[in-house]
Amino acid sequence: MTQKSANRAKNPVMRTPRSVDVEITSQCNLRCRYCYYFDNPSVTYQDLSTDEWLKFFEELGRCTVMDVTLQGGEPFIRKDLPELIEGIVTNRMRFSILSNGSLIDDKIASFIAQTNRCDSIQISVDGSCPEIHDICRGKGSFDGATRGIRILRHHDIPTTVRVTIHHYNVLDLENITQLLLDELELPGFSVNSAGYLGSCTKNSKELLLTALDRETAMVKLIQLSERYEGRFSASAGPLAEARRWRRMEDAFSEGAPQFPDGGYLTGCGCSSNKIAVRADGAIIPCCMLAHLELGRINHDSLEEVWQQNPILNGLRQRHTISLDTFDFCAGCPYISYCTGNCPGLAYTLTGQIDHPSPDACFRRFLEDGGRLPGI
Amino acid sequence: MKLSDKPVANPVVVLREEFDDWAVLFNPDTAGAVGINPVGVVVWKQMNGERNLEEIVTHVKEEFNDVPETVDKEVTDFIGNLAESGFVGYALKEFDK
Repeated sequence: MTQKSANRAKNPVMRTPRSVDVEITSQCNLRCRYCYYFDNPSVTYQDLSTDEWLKFFEELGRCTVMDVTLQGGEPFIRKDLPELIEGIVTNRMRFSILSNGSLIDDKIASFIAQTNRCDSIQISVDGSCPEIHDICRGKGSFDGATRGIRILRHHDIPTTVRVTIHHYNVLDLENITQLLLDELELPGFSVNSAGYLGSCTKNSKELLLTALDRETAMVKLIQLSERYEGRFSASAGPLAEARRWRRMEDAFSEGAPQFPDGGYLTGCGCSSNKIAVRADGAIIPCCMLAHLELGRINHDSLEEVWQQNPILNGLRQRHTISLDTFDFCAGCPYISYCTGNCPGLAYTLTGQIDHPSPDACFRRFLEDGGRLPGI
Repeated sequence: MKLSDKPVANPVVVLREEFDDWAVLFNPDTAGAVGINPVGVVVWKQMNGERNLEEIVTHVKEEFNDVPETVDKEVTDFIGNLAESGFVGYALKEFDK
């Protein structure tokens, strides 16, 4: 069947974003030493009023956005959080929250539970005990995080945990796993690693994983993910790298053809379905690319920004840039299997977005003395 | 389902017309989503509780070229499946006085 009135040009970009990451506040009760958010010279650390966010959520509803992730800063620091969540629910969306957990109490948990629209609340846990967790997050933060998790679980709110691996917790991964999966009985958790962004740029020599740290984390995470099958997830960091790099090494050894996503800057597909908003109302492609201001909420049409902004459309063309055009990749045997990785880290490490990120470079890992564990 | 039944789109369900040819029905209460084609979009927009199934099928025949003979059954099955998963309800008939 063909529609009689159909007269539309094919458009490869969806009409509006499906998901929006909202930095609902620039305030936080902690100052984690590797926080990607703070100490970014491009960011204005200023909050919008309740009414401004509610007006924007109405626009998201009209744009038929499906879900919103509230982050910051620390979202639970906002006294008007229930009102803001109500605005999301009223406009027929679901929501998730990224939090350090320490400000969650029974009252707000009860409110969130009754909305029936919460996909998940993600709490950051970086150690199995205060002595390790608090190294980067500050005194008392471990107790706050685990208390928050217990409250959320008590209210049957879907609760996830993100473990950020850094130099000081790399030997604690087994204990962290036992805490989260055995003691707190979470269904699973995700892992990544501290990246050269925000506050971490000031502490990078101390906190970032060395090649040996990364190898240690890979070995342990592979063991644990086999023992606790299906309960670990990772889209970046040592576990994701171990899995990806093993596939790359095997493909190279076998002379396999190029991966479908290999050989080009395909490392990020966020700009095809997702957009972000800073706490000061600037629309940005992603929280990792906070310097790229695409417009202002309640001033610029989200739909127009999404469809027409040249910066955003430029990011969508990243996948056409071949890795063999970069000096950085010259002579690399893994080019056909590599995606170039995160553009946010590429920018902070090289000053260029359209560049492969050195952070997750397999060749560099090997050159630095790292060895890839068997899987 | 009878041709006289009047389906009603669940008002909480969001119709996302994502690309030119396809759309998604998203129920934020359940997080359930269903992909639908342009015929599905037209049918969805007709389900206001005032039009019965027969009228909706007639509208589809007017809107599209090369409509197959099985369209009645296909539209009925489509709406029935949506009703089973909570995307659609039926308007209540008035009680006889």
